[in-house]
Amino acid sequence: MILKKLSLVLAVAVLTAGAQAQAPVPLQLELPKPLFAGTPRPISLPNLEAPRAGKRPDLMVPAGTANLSKGKAVTSSDSLPVIGELSYLTDGDKSGTDGTYVELGPTPQWVQIDLGAKAKVAAIALWHFHSQARVYHDVVVQVSDDKDFKTGVTTVYNNDDDNSSKLGKGKDLAYIENFEGRLLDAKGAAGRYVRLSSNGNTSDELNHYCEVEVHGALVK
Amino acid sequence: MLANVRRWLPIALVAVTALWLRTHDLAVRPMHADEANQAVKVGALLERGHYEFDPADHHGPTLYYAALPIAWLRGERNLAALSETTVRLVPALSGTLSVLLLYFFAAAFGRWAAITAAAFLAIAPASAYYSRYFIQESLLLAFFLATILCAQRWWRSGNGCWALGAGVGAGLMQATKASAPLFIFAALVALWFVRRNAFKTTRPKRDLAVFLGAFFLSAALFYSSFGTHVGGLADALATYAPAAGRVTEGSGHEKPWFYFLSLFGWQRSGGLLWQQLLFSGLGLGGALVALRHSHPFLRGALIYTTVVGIALAVTPYKTPWHVIHLIPGLAVLAAGALAAIPFRSVAIVLAAFVILAQWRQTDLAVFLRPADARNPYAYVHSSPDVRKVRGLAESALAHSPQGAIRVISEEYWPLPWYFRGLDRVGYWSLPPDDCDAAMILASAANTAAVRSRLRGRYRESYLGLRPGFICTVFIKEAP
Repeated sequence: MILKKLSLVLAVAVLTAGAQAQAPVPLQLELPKPLFAGTPRPISLPNLEAPRAGKRPDLMVPAGTANLSKGKAVTSSDSLPVIGELSYLTDGDKSGTDGTYVELGPTPQWVQIDLGAKAKVAAIALWHFHSQARVYHDVVVQVSDDKDFKTGVTTVYNNDDDNSSKLGKGKDLAYIENFEGRLLDAKGAAGRYVRLSSNGNTSDELNHYCEVEVHGALVK
Repeated sequence: MLANVRRWLPIALVAVTALWLRTHDLAVRPMHADEANQAVKVGALLERGHYEFDPADHHGPTLYYAALPIAWLRGERNLAALSETTVRLVPALSGTLSVLLLYFFAAAFGRWAAITAAAFLAIAPASAYYSRYFIQESLLLAFFLATILCAQRWWRSGNGCWALGAGVGAGLMQATKASAPLFIFAALVALWFVRRNAFKTTRPKRDLAVFLGAFFLSAALFYSSFGTHVGGLADALATYAPAAGRVTEGSGHEKPWFYFLSLFGWQRSGGLLWQQLLFSGLGLGGALVALRHSHPFLRGALIYTTVVGIALAVTPYKTPWHVIHLIPGLAVLAAGALAAIPFRSVAIVLAAFVILAQWRQTDLAVFLRPADARNPYAYVHSSPDVRKVRGLAESALAHSPQGAIRVISEEYWPLPWYFRGLDRVGYWSLPPDDCDAAMILASAANTAAVRSRLRGRYRESYLGLRPGFICTVFIKEAP
């Protein structure tokens, strides 16, 4: 009888602890400082989203979520960037100054991060270029277990509204780059690889990345 | 025959290289606001056959008239048909002509030195870049070199025909840009200091009269729009009042005195390296040679370049295209430095290094990053995004055939160029009461107001006019 009661208490304790472990917590992101040097031209965020007042809302992610992309291997459709290195995407430096971003050529280009193992991705934070107000065109972010992204592809974000990148028509909103980067809710998309595409920007035809963080947990 | 080939082949190769650098893929760069503005004026001249000089906001008429024969030859009879390549062929051809004119002018300095100077001018990044840019600067430089070449020939031969040529050249300079007197003045200062022999003519008064007559006649022809707009003659003088205001106040283009020097130095911008140290070093070497040895030609180049350089340095108003007026003098000085090297093989190797280094910079500026904000020659340049606007407009009008295109922005060039040939396009600096249209392009400052006045469903996207200047594109959706 006593053994039965003890087992019940133990079971309740384990369940409670498990529930506490799965309770969502706010994702903590380290942000670089704003880089709009001097007086920028007056740009009043004419974006498709309502301009946000105050702090960015927290994105709730499962407890234990970690940055899985730090230091991970990066490949790209432009394998030899003229400026910067692909490794800059995952080196943890998102300051945006010269020497901290990689510049890919014109036309649609992608970068791909190999997380090393299959993961459940909770959030993806990306910084293209934030020392000038600009909008990157046709931003598409996908997760897959297939390194060629032919099967099992989950699209996390897509603002290519005319399918010019041939990755499907997207309904997400375009946005002006700033020091906060773009925080995407990946909703637990599973895969080993994360691929990000873009097609130039409002200032030039090139594609840039300061940093990409993939937050989640490896699937055991 | 073989002697002729040997004589002309080197300069022919230099000229062909210059022509290729100036004409290859001319439409690759989006139109700068200034180019678009002037190209639209060419379109109006093509269509209406009439032009009136605007003394307040525009330079002289020669650029527009020079584009006409090229447009006719290419079968472009109106603004809608006019192309980037057509208008940019004007500076491209005049830029190539400048290379040849410098060769002939510098030939007195020695054939190989002249060829080297011409080669340096041909491949200089700024020379190549602005010879593909539909503004007055390249034309002005060509007219200047033609003028001093004619003056040089007149001085040595005494033939009045050269005085006539110099007068026409100077008149065309004046009809190109109000800054023309600066370059004539600098050339006269150089001549004053380096002249050794008196001019050959026996009838200097007659030749002066010929020069002045040719000068006034050629300038007057263009400013009066070939006699169809006499008021243009007074405006040719009136233009100096607003020009003086712009030049002395800077009007947003103020830069430090060393700005032009910095273009010949070393600068790293956003990971791109811009440098002309070898060329500048050689030019400096040529200046030392000119000071130590009393070679009049080299010394003249030094004095001319110094006078122009000082004038540009002390003027608050600075735009990078003015730098092309320093390059012929620097090219001559650099060639002079090479000529002063006693070992021919060393000079050849050094020349090859300079040409290679300059070529790489020109390739970067002209072909690889022609509209990049980090390119020091791409000044307040339009974003490549602007080339999408025509397709967006045509698509929007296809869905709303009775619709219009509204541009509601405090700045809108070069959009009128990209909308050329479309009938129903309007421009507002502030949102009108009725903003509805097939497509609306609103600046960031006007976006919220425009959005609040729209009725019906619109799809929104972004388009960059220039780096940092983003517009919102509203396209009406089908009901």
